[in-house]
Amino acid sequence: MILYIVSILLLVLLAPLLLSYIKATKMVLLFKRPISIFQGYRNFSKLLHKETIISEETSAITTYAPFLVLSPLIIVMFFLPPVVDGSYYVSFVDAFTITGLISLSTFFLMLLGLDSASAFGGMGSSREAFISALVEPAMVLTIFSVSLMAGNLGVGQAGVNLAQHFPKEHMASFLFAGISFFILLIAENGRIPVDNPETHLELTMVHEAMILDLTGVYLAIIETAASIKFIIFASLFASLFMPFGLEFAAPIAFLIFIAKLFFIATLVALLEVNTAKLRLFKIPNLLGLAIVFAFLSLITFYVLGA
Amino acid sequence: MFIFDALSLVFVALILLGAIPNLFYSTGYLPHIDRKAHYQLHYFAFIFSMLGVVVSANALVFLFFWELMSLTSWQLILTEVKDKATIKAARFYFIMTHFGFLFLLLFFLIVTDGNLEIGFASMKLIASDFAYPTLLFFFLILGFLSKAGAVPLHVWLPYAHPQAPSPVSALMSGVMLKVAIYGMFRFLFDVLYPWPLEWGIVILTLGALSSLIGVLYALSEHDIKALLANHSIENIGIILIGFGMGMIFDTLGLRMLSTFAFIAALFHTFNHMSFKSLLFMGAGAVLHQTHTKNMEKYGGLIKAMPVTALTFLIAAISISALPPSNGFLSEWMIFQSMLSSSHIDNISLKLAIPFAIFALAMTGGLAIACFVKAYGITFLGLHRSTNAKHAHEVNFLMKSGMVLMTLVVLSLMLFTPYYMKWFDKVFIGLGHASVYAKIFPDGIWNMHSLGINGGIVSPLILLFSLLGVTLLMLLAYKVFGVKTRIHNAWACGYKTSQKTQYSATGFAGPIRRFFNWLYKPDEHFEKQTIAGHETKFDASHYEVHVKPLFEKVFYISIAKAVNYVSYWVYRLAHFEQTRYAAMIFNIMLVVLFSYRIFAHDFSWATFVLEFFVMMISVKILIIGDKK
Repeated sequence: MILYIVSILLLVLLAPLLLSYIKATKMVLLFKRPISIFQGYRNFSKLLHKETIISEETSAITTYAPFLVLSPLIIVMFFLPPVVDGSYYVSFVDAFTITGLISLSTFFLMLLGLDSASAFGGMGSSREAFISALVEPAMVLTIFSVSLMAGNLGVGQAGVNLAQHFPKEHMASFLFAGISFFILLIAENGRIPVDNPETHLELTMVHEAMILDLTGVYLAIIETAASIKFIIFASLFASLFMPFGLEFAAPIAFLIFIAKLFFIATLVALLEVNTAKLRLFKIPNLLGLAIVFAFLSLITFYVLGA
Repeated sequence: MFIFDALSLVFVALILLGAIPNLFYSTGYLPHIDRKAHYQLHYFAFIFSMLGVVVSANALVFLFFWELMSLTSWQLILTEVKDKATIKAARFYFIMTHFGFLFLLLFFLIVTDGNLEIGFASMKLIASDFAYPTLLFFFLILGFLSKAGAVPLHVWLPYAHPQAPSPVSALMSGVMLKVAIYGMFRFLFDVLYPWPLEWGIVILTLGALSSLIGVLYALSEHDIKALLANHSIENIGIILIGFGMGMIFDTLGLRMLSTFAFIAALFHTFNHMSFKSLLFMGAGAVLHQTHTKNMEKYGGLIKAMPVTALTFLIAAISISALPPSNGFLSEWMIFQSMLSSSHIDNISLKLAIPFAIFALAMTGGLAIACFVKAYGITFLGLHRSTNAKHAHEVNFLMKSGMVLMTLVVLSLMLFTPYYMKWFDKVFIGLGHASVYAKIFPDGIWNMHSLGINGGIVSPLILLFSLLGVTLLMLLAYKVFGVKTRIHNAWACGYKTSQKTQYSATGFAGPIRRFFNWLYKPDEHFEKQTIAGHETKFDASHYEVHVKPLFEKVFYISIAKAVNYVSYWVYRLAHFEQTRYAAMIFNIMLVVLFSYRIFAHDFSWATFVLEFFVMMISVKILIIGDKK
């Protein structure tokens, strides 16, 4: 139980670091002077000290939605696969509940965007609705395929099963599912090529547009939610698609897990540096690719058993 | 004459749960109806007839109440005749519902052998002797699905539901469609029981198509009630997906999974009743205050109508299948039963079911988008018209109707195990084994899927943990006493105004553009350009309408073809009588020749000879000389 709580706390604490790390890596690769990787914490504490400014057009939704954006994600943190052998984990919660909770968070974020009567918010919500509607089927199919390979629909149990008996005979469908999930990781977290988290240009904003009217604590909450969402996806990817390293002693296993997270973050940073942001109407092509890979993974599993 | 088994009683409960809050709402709505006596008479007769349908034990009583239900609801649509659209919608509904009735009548005439007063057990004997059971199945689904509104018989819903008074649309969409689902349960189980595999696949396909098409057209809709009507199509599709999975599992001998899928379908039937009634009530309240069904004229209503806004939000979360709502639970069950398809041995079926999973997941995603649009444009932001500016909360009775319906939604969420016990009894009554103990093996906290290594969900734990975490954060926010300042929003130096907000059309824009091949929208774009510049204009007007493809293909084009043929025949018979007579002569020749060819000996020589005789006759008599 202690390991369980420690690992959740560790992941929550690590969340802002990971996003700052991606940003710093990108800056190094672009020959800029990088920000400190602790910038996330600095921003957080700075925002906590600011007052909250609420625009006068908003309603009760703005007052409560930031909390409702964060709380489903915090609950998802409790359902992730274990980081270390012997740690407690919630074995039974399945992928629908997890995607459902993430959608609940997105639902309130989109309402938040529409609440302030500014054109930016509506634009962000509209685009987010478009993207997340297309992400949903790929997500469900990918996790279905992984759970077939792991022999359990519970995400926590699937992570453990994969770590204990890696399905070597299903390597092909496993890889397809991995590719699909990585695309989803990028799309759901609004990274390039789907969304550019660093720009405030109305042509390209998605996530930033929805939260443009927030400041202070509310902004801090939403930024935390964004970083927690990234760490959820990263640790799901790490547990389901890089299932090794659980069997070591707790500190080493933690270190291995963190190394995996940083590896994923580096991958994302490299991808961001090397690709341009897609036009909004080209994004379905990318997500369609994820859907096709998810189907391929299922079909290879069923037909070839590979 | 009447039957009160578990299935009937559960549907009686469904109708009462839907009707009692509606009664309050309807009473509150009454002052705004001109023909009060007409309305009240048909309203109560409507509820009574629905109760009659689900308890009737023979074909005659069933058909009587079914027809009474159709006629009263048809009259209820005609309560407030404001424009021609209402009459047109009512006529459309009348035709569609009698189209279905025709097939039901055919079905019953065959399975009762002409004696309409025999019970279900004797019907089953006759049906099992009938040589073409699939014909019976198609009669049955044409009859019931035209009422339930599954693709391609769904076209009447987006016309009829918006034209009815709001309490009636809530009742029609929430409850009447479910009576058709009752018919599916009753007659597929009691009369046509051993199902071939194909029937289940037909139902599953119809369900998957309905769910996707319903939600796609809902997204393109700006009339709030038509949007909700399209969502009914989607939800009927989801129910049919569960139903079809149940039929498939049953045929394949996976009895436990079959019961699980059927329970999921029945649970979703209940859930859809609750949240769709609530949504229609909320839409009715908004419509009542703003006097328009156009979503582009709403906005900012959450401040004026907090109760409506809150109840609508709960219903929107539930219909979008977001945890921990009841809509999520039933969709979870349907998903789990589809995921159990990995137990099926039939490889082609196994490969096909992921496409249904895809359809349902896509539907879920689009439903979220659609309800963000419906809720955000209606209740959030600034008012988009003066009517919306002057809106205020509806009267007490209407409010209490909505609150009661919210309680029904919440009870379906909180007391799921209790409802499940009843659903389980239904299927014990229909000859399946009990699965309640397998769904809830360790108390009420965890709900298990019945597939091997299936998933588990714990609705109550989710609900309480969500509430707990949110309240904890709110408390922390309050305790730390964060300074809050209210200021106008930054809008690039301009002031925010109703015109600068995102509109419903704009919100659905990306999705509409992506599905352009399906929508084929009629776009009207007018702008007053300045001095002939293409890009400089001071006033512009953009409108987009989406006409359902199914209506174009199946209804309007068929009507056009029939019209064309009948006009042609009319012209021929009245103005070109010689040619008409010649055609009759030629048809006689064709019949005679083909009779000789097919009934007697066939020889190429006579065939060629007759062919030339035909050609000459056609050339001389029908085509005639060139002018």
